[in-house]
Amino acid sequence: MTEYAIDIVNVTKRYAEHTAVRDLTLRVPTGSVYGLLGPNGAGKTTTIRMILNIIAPDSGTIHIFGRPSSDPKVTERMGYLPEERGLYRKMQVKRVLKFLAELKGVKGSEAERRIDDWLERLSLKTPEKDWGLSKVDELSRGMQQKVQFIGTLLHDPDLVILDEPFSGLDPINAQALKDTVVELKKRGKTVIFSTHLMDNAERLCDSVCIIARGEKVLDGTVTGVKEEHGQRNIALALEGDGMKGIASILSDHSLVKRADDSNRFFEIELVPGGDPQTLLRRVVESGASVQRFEMIQPSLHEIFLKKVGAAGIEEGMTGHG
Amino acid sequence: MAKLWAIIKREYVERVRSKWFVIATLFGPIFFSAIIIVPAWLSSRSKATSDIYNTTILDATGNGFGHRLAVNIAGDTTVPGRLPEVRVVAPSMLTRAESTATHEVMDKEKTGYVVVDQQTIAGESARYAGRNATSIADMAQIKSAIRETILASRLEKVGLDNSRMKEITFIPLDFSTERITEKGRAGSGIASVMFGFAIGFLLYASIVIYGQTIMSGVLEEKTTRVAEVVMSSVPTDTLLAGKVLGVGAVGLTQQIIWIVTTYVLLQLRAPIMAKFGAPAMSFTLPDISLGAGLIFLLFFLFGFIFYSSLFAAVGSSVNSESEARQAASPLMIMIISTAVFIQPVLLNPTGTTARVLSLVPFSSPIIMPIRMAVIGIPPLELAASLGFLAIGCIAALWLASRIYRVGLLMYGKRPSIREMARWVSYSR
Repeated sequence: MTEYAIDIVNVTKRYAEHTAVRDLTLRVPTGSVYGLLGPNGAGKTTTIRMILNIIAPDSGTIHIFGRPSSDPKVTERMGYLPEERGLYRKMQVKRVLKFLAELKGVKGSEAERRIDDWLERLSLKTPEKDWGLSKVDELSRGMQQKVQFIGTLLHDPDLVILDEPFSGLDPINAQALKDTVVELKKRGKTVIFSTHLMDNAERLCDSVCIIARGEKVLDGTVTGVKEEHGQRNIALALEGDGMKGIASILSDHSLVKRADDSNRFFEIELVPGGDPQTLLRRVVESGASVQRFEMIQPSLHEIFLKKVGAAGIEEGMTGHG
Repeated sequence: MAKLWAIIKREYVERVRSKWFVIATLFGPIFFSAIIIVPAWLSSRSKATSDIYNTTILDATGNGFGHRLAVNIAGDTTVPGRLPEVRVVAPSMLTRAESTATHEVMDKEKTGYVVVDQQTIAGESARYAGRNATSIADMAQIKSAIRETILASRLEKVGLDNSRMKEITFIPLDFSTERITEKGRAGSGIASVMFGFAIGFLLYASIVIYGQTIMSGVLEEKTTRVAEVVMSSVPTDTLLAGKVLGVGAVGLTQQIIWIVTTYVLLQLRAPIMAKFGAPAMSFTLPDISLGAGLIFLLFFLFGFIFYSSLFAAVGSSVNSESEARQAASPLMIMIISTAVFIQPVLLNPTGTTARVLSLVPFSSPIIMPIRMAVIGIPPLELAASLGFLAIGCIAALWLASRIYRVGLLMYGKRPSIREMARWVSYSR
């Protein structure tokens, strides 16, 4: 197996009005869970469509498992779940799934076996009711999402591409999706998903790439990104209303660069070279009773905000979710 | 290839299984039989009905005119029940007799009554009143019976005897009509025009119905984002080709069912028309050779590809059914304006209009087959028409596939013509 499931080199895609993706270089290690992060309109969907060979880049190259993305053999190894979802409404569930499987080169009888498997697994087929025989528009929205998810995975793809997979999912389906992503990774599959929800990315991804306005802002493993781009912050909580007593310490700019009141605790960023031990000592000396003093890593959300800036938020960025 | 087949199969199977297809397929033969049977039935109505035998003759002439008229109305007195009833009345009693006869008609015992008097013998006037007074054929027959009777009376006065009179006045004229084309005699003229009209209607209906079917199919795939999933598996050109071929096959299936069942119904027309009370009329279908049939098929396929690829392009460029209807209006205008010319072309199939319209790709798939049904077309003209249409098809497919692959991925506002023109220039 090649080292990189996806290898994008210097890819640019222009439209008449704007450049959707500018000189993007991106490598997704085989067998990893990869997050493509960015505000709406950053170029995530365009990048995904180029990976899937739905559209072609104006310049640059894209290789999937070492082959050009236009190779028909490659398309059969990819599974895709688009951002907004739907299926042929008037079609029977099983026949929709069989059609999607056939498009990926799965033979009829094999497809039927797998469809039954999946329907049972996601409890769409129980001894009482086989939803596979119903028409798509008879299913609830949650069930339709499951069916679409089955359609993405029926041909057992090596590379699974999910565009904003968590948007519109109810909590139960969102959990099922997370479980499946973890399971896919355990089976050696590569999963890449785009999201603007940093919490999900932080929990699930091995590596991430943040893009904004069509350009890569940063990429790397989640741990690496945090070490490289974050500061080591301190969470500080005191008993009672001891906070007032330390106001002078927090406003000492020779030690504290920034103190952010998160209601239940302060998130404190020290000036470069500032020693956390000095801070702790001064807080204790002030007579406050320390409840929590913890070195914390910055969240992806914070890194994102820092890197992309307020403009990113205006363009549709949402924080936690 | 297997993927193209999967797309064709889905389009075909899902549509053929739909209720709509079943209903439309059943409706077709009913419609076409109606086209054939209703005119026959109407023309049989334009022959006098048996109602006229149930007429009362109020004879105020006093010289037996009424009885002779009765014989003339009956035509054939050997058939029982044909001889109208004659009431000889004195001129002074005529008003009362008329009032009695009116009530009989109102009670539906009688169809109507004829009043003949001295003025009738003089050839000046006669009166009829009855329920069938609006039936042109009935009135024509009664009128001619009266004329015959007057003529006979006059001849009698001149001294002609009864048998000679019959001989002179009896004219059982059967007036049949037949059309002549460049190829020679071409069977019944009405049948040929009907056939041409049926062909034109069939082509027009399938292009409109299946073109819009493709358009809303493309739109459904776009709005549900199924298109993106499919495009991640197959090239867009394959998807477009699969749709056009799949839906085209549905249309062809329906037409074959229509043609076969209509043919069977035509073979069985005598008993069917007898049920409608119409005599089995002689109905010669125009001779269609295998070659001509194949050319019809080519026109259907090319016309279908031409329009449906453009409809697919429209479907891909919009975001809702209402937008689609608006955006498709130029196409609909092209088709409808062609349909408007069906009748003029049938009336004058060799005129300049007909010849020009059968060369222009957007009208030729409908107009040319119609002309072929009614006249012989020179091979050169036929070849030119098919050639231009084929070029039109290639151009339409090229244009459509380029709009289609960009349009399917563009959401939001409806594109302007300028934007769509720019899409055409996009690489992919």
